[in-house]
Amino acid sequence: MTTELRTESIPAPLIVEALKDAFRWERPEGRPATSPLGWVLTVPDTHQRSVLRLLTDDPDIRLLTCSTEDEANAIAAGLSIGGEPVLMLIQHAGLYASVNTLRGVAMDGRVPSFYLIGLLGRQPGQELSDSRSSMVRYAEPLLETFGVPYARLENADDLPRIAEYYRLSREQMGPTAVLVGLETGE
Amino acid sequence: MTMTPEDVVRVVAEMQGEGIVVPTMTTVPAWRTTAPEAASVACVGFMGGASSLGLGLALAEPGRRIVVLDGDGSLLMQLGSLATVAGAAPKNYTHVVMANGVYHTSGSQGIPAGDRIDFEGLARSAGYAHAETIDNLEDFRIRWPELLTREGPVMVQLITGEAELTPMTAPGGKPFAQQVAELREKLQGA
Ligand SMILES: Cc1ncc(C[n+]2csc(CCOP(=O)(O)OP(=O)(O)O)c2C)c(N)n1
Ligand SMILES: [Mg+2]
Repeated sequence: MTTELRTESIPAPLIVEALKDAFRWERPEGRPATSPLGWVLTVPDTHQRSVLRLLTDDPDIRLLTCSTEDEANAIAAGLSIGGEPVLMLIQHAGLYASVNTLRGVAMDGRVPSFYLIGLLGRQPGQELSDSRSSMVRYAEPLLETFGVPYARLENADDLPRIAEYYRLSREQMGPTAVLVGLETGE
Repeated sequence: MTMTPEDVVRVVAEMQGEGIVVPTMTTVPAWRTTAPEAASVACVGFMGGASSLGLGLALAEPGRRIVVLDGDGSLLMQLGSLATVAGAAPKNYTHVVMANGVYHTSGSQGIPAGDRIDFEGLARSAGYAHAETIDNLEDFRIRWPELLTREGPVMVQLITGEAELTPMTAPGGKPFAQQVAELREKLQGA
């Protein structure tokens, strides 16, 4: 029996709220006057550009654009060592580009590292393994090889996965990921 | 007289204060023995990451000076981090590059353009607040207090000779995860 995949584009404001929920969980006492609610480190992801657009102007979030995803991983480690809530918003290609740092920092360093990964090129309703795009096909096998717990964001019902997997990265002291199935909406 | 990474580490350790040091490659063994109790975390196991690890610490801890002791080959691997650091503009960030012209730790192979590359110029073009080059220990001693306190991001390219020890000839030290855990405890612990 095959179950129908209900995939839909999730509006960016809902995703931004979910990120803030994750940050608020980590620092329930509220932020110090000098700090944002949390940091989003990114190498821009085409798939999640509507989210990035919102984050750019959001006073609660510090959005830092990095030259590479390797940098994002190491910057996230420094922020997290200093107690700052932080996550990475990247594209599947960025995951492939930075696996050595994911391994060296998030895994070997036992650094809580949460990734929101856009699956650019993913067809609605289609299983990732059936995708014509190698970038889409290899995301889950790669995460499984590295033992990185992940969930998929296929529709708005999955939004709680963001705070859940963020929390899991903090509890397990390592990497976790949420894969964004379809391009985020306005 | 030519500086060695060990000379540099001694000066940095003497004046560390409340700062946090992020060594990598040939400064790692020297740092470990010179300043074993100091607030620091070494970039080991992810070559090229020292500048970014230091940036994250600088953004989280604006009241402390962050000193990154980078390798020239390592910085080349993540050269874009110069722009990321410049863009984030941490005032409390001092980036020291050990310009020895070689990948000493992996067997002293020459780095690309090792005879002409200029990290001071690269940092300045990227948008660091200040960049300079020092080629002897006497000048480094004199200049270091200012490089530690002036508004960053600051880059100092040090023309150095090779170290006595490398992470290959002097292996050991605490695993990265333990260093991370200890620094976290130091910074966030009650
Ligand atoms: C991704 C990656 N590629 C290659 C290596 C092999 N490697 C280990 S140490 C090193 C040289 C480091 O050179 P540099 O940063 O200039 O530091 P130095 O040893 O000269 O102080 C290299 C290439 C590595 N560790 N990681
Ligand atoms: Mg070198």
